[in-house]
Amino acid sequence: MSEQPPAPLPREKKVPVQVTRFDKVLGQRRNLIYIVVGALVLVVLLALPPLGVSGFWLRTITQAYVLAIMAIGWNFIGGYTGYAAFGNVAFFGLSAYVTGILMKKVGVPFLPSLLTGALFAAAFAVLIGLAVLRLKGHYFAIATLGVAEATREIIADDLGFLLKIPGDLLGLIGLDKAAESLHAAAEKVAITDGPRGIVLPFFQPPFQIGDLTKVQIEAWFFYYLTLSLVILGILGTWWLIRTKLGYSLVAIREDEDSAKMLGINTTWAKVTAFALAAFMAGLAGGINAYWKTFVLPEEVFRIGHTLEMILSTILGGPGTVLGPALGAGIFTLVSSLLIFKLKLGGFHVMITGLFIVIVIVFTPKGVGEFLTGKKPLALSSLLENIRRYRV
Amino acid sequence: MSEQTNQQNDGQVIFGVQRATKHFGGLAAVDRVDVDIHQGEILGLIGPNGAGKTTLVNIVTGMLPITSGRVFYKGREITSWAPHRVGRLGIARTFQIVKPFRNMTVKDNVAVGAMYGHGGAHRSARQALEKAEEVLEFVGLEDQMARGADQLTLGALKRLEIAKALAMEPELLFLDEAMAGLNLREIESAMELVRKINQSGVTLLVIEHVMKAIVGVCSRVVVLDFGQKIAEGTPQEVMNNPKVIEAYLGEKFARRLREEAAHG
Repeated sequence: MSEQPPAPLPREKKVPVQVTRFDKVLGQRRNLIYIVVGALVLVVLLALPPLGVSGFWLRTITQAYVLAIMAIGWNFIGGYTGYAAFGNVAFFGLSAYVTGILMKKVGVPFLPSLLTGALFAAAFAVLIGLAVLRLKGHYFAIATLGVAEATREIIADDLGFLLKIPGDLLGLIGLDKAAESLHAAAEKVAITDGPRGIVLPFFQPPFQIGDLTKVQIEAWFFYYLTLSLVILGILGTWWLIRTKLGYSLVAIREDEDSAKMLGINTTWAKVTAFALAAFMAGLAGGINAYWKTFVLPEEVFRIGHTLEMILSTILGGPGTVLGPALGAGIFTLVSSLLIFKLKLGGFHVMITGLFIVIVIVFTPKGVGEFLTGKKPLALSSLLENIRRYRV
Repeated sequence: MSEQTNQQNDGQVIFGVQRATKHFGGLAAVDRVDVDIHQGEILGLIGPNGAGKTTLVNIVTGMLPITSGRVFYKGREITSWAPHRVGRLGIARTFQIVKPFRNMTVKDNVAVGAMYGHGGAHRSARQALEKAEEVLEFVGLEDQMARGADQLTLGALKRLEIAKALAMEPELLFLDEAMAGLNLREIESAMELVRKINQSGVTLLVIEHVMKAIVGVCSRVVVLDFGQKIAEGTPQEVMNNPKVIEAYLGEKFARRLREEAAHG
C-alpha cells in the first residue's frame, strides 16, 4: 500500500524501537510479497463468478465494488486534498437520474447513458465547487451537505420549481392569470417523475454465454463492470499521485497558503479533485440505477451513501492508494454478514453507527497502517491512536 | 558586506510599491508605504513587532487583498494578482511561521516549488524531484532529503522554507524572519546562505529582528513603525536615526541617549 505521493521513505539508519512481528515476517521482500498477494487476490476476485459463487455473495461483492468506486472518488477530495466533502451522494443521485432518464425516456443504450450521467455529475461538481471550495473545514462540510439535500428536494419536486418561481414572481406583481398558468404548467412537468421515481429497462444480455441463464449473465455483467472500474480507479489513483496535480492536492491538504505561494492555482486543483470525485460517484450512481432498475429520490440521495464512502475511506486509510477499496470491502462484508446472515437488519443503523465510532476512535488513519507494517497490530498502537486525536 | 552586493546597488528598480495601504477595520496596518527594490540588492525591512512588515509582504504578494496602492514588478503592474500568479512570475516568499508540508518528505516539499514556480511550467514531476535535490544541496539539507518534514528541527525547517522558495527559481525573494528563533551558530550560517542566494543572482527583501543579521547582509534598510515608513538608508544611517531609536526603545530612553551623547 502506498502512502501519499512521496515515494516511500527509505528506512532510516536508526531502527525503530518497536520492530513488529508482522514486519519481521515480511522483511526485505515486502514489496514482492505485496505484489504476489495483490495478484492472488485479483485472480480470486476475477474467478469468483465462474467458480459458481452463490447469487447472494455475487450481489454482496458487487455492492462492495460500487461502494469502492465511490470511496476511491471521495479519496481524491477528502483523502488527498483534505476537504471533507459531505455531499457526494448528490453526484451519485444526479448521475443515476441522468442515466435513468436517458435510458427510459430517450432510449439511449446503457454505456453512453452512464458516461453522460457521470460527466453531468462532474460538470455539476465544477459549478458547485467553484462556490463551496472557497470554504474550509466545517463550513465546507456543511455547505456540501446542504447542496446534496437541496438537490434531492429539487429532483423530488420534478424541476417544477423552474416554473413555480417565475409564477410566484408574476403573482407578486399582480399578473394572476399568467401566474396561475405557470403554476398549472409546473404541475405537469414530468422529467424526473417526482417522488414516483423512474423504472429503468431491464438488463438484456446482448448474446448468450455458454449455458448461463439470463439472470446469471446479468449478475456477471455487473460484477465484472464494477470490478474493472475499481481496478481502473486504483491504477488511476496510483498514477495521479505521481503527477504534478497529485503533488499539488497533497500540498493543499498540508498547507494551502504555502501551496498558493509556490505557484499552485489552488482553486483549479481543488475543483479538479472535486470533479474527479463526482465522476467516480456518478459512475457508481448510474451503474447502481441500472443494476437495481429503479431510481427514487429518497434512495439515490440517501445521506447514508455519503457516510458509507467516507467511512470506507477512513477505515482503509485516507490518502492512500488501496485504502478506499479495502475499506469498502471490509465495511460491506461486515454489514452484509450482520444484516443477512445474523438477521440483525433491524439494527442496521445502530451497527453502522457503532462501526463509525470504532473506526474513528481506534484507527483514524485506517487499517492500512497495520497491514503495511507501519504500526504493529497491538493494543498499544490502538491506544496510541486514541491519544493522538484526543482533545 | 561583500563587494558584489555594493556593486549591485546601482541596479534598476525591479519591484516597486507605491502608497501601499492595508486597513483592518479602523486600523491602518500598512499606511501609504513606498518601497523600491533594486535589481541584485539585499534590502532589509525592519521595525518593532506589529509595525506591519509581514502585512506589507502579504498585500504585495496577493495573500491579503490590498486596500489601496499599487505594486509593480519589472515595469508591470501586479496589484491584487492572485498569489499563485505572483509566484509563477518569479516572486517567492517564505513564511515567518514555517509552513512545511508535514506529511511529505523534505525532497517532495521542495519538489512542489520546482513544479509550480517560475521555472515549473516546463518541468515534469520527475524533473522537479531532480531540481529539488539540487536546491537541497545548495541550502545544506541534502542529508535530510528522505526524512519526513515533521521530523526536522526549527533550524532545518527554516532552511526547508527557503529551499521551497528557491526551487521556484525566483528572481525576487522575500524572507520573512527566516532567522528568528535560531541560535547564534545557526544565524551565522543562515547569513552565509542569504549572501550565497544573493550571489546566485536573486534580489532579496529580508525581514528580520536579528540586527546583527541585518547589518551583516543588507546594503539598504527600510524601517516601518505603526504601518508607516519612518526611515530608509544604509544600516548605519537608520540605526543612528533618532526616529528609529525612539520606535524601538521608546521616547524616554531615546531622549536620555541623546542627552548622554550631547554631554559626551
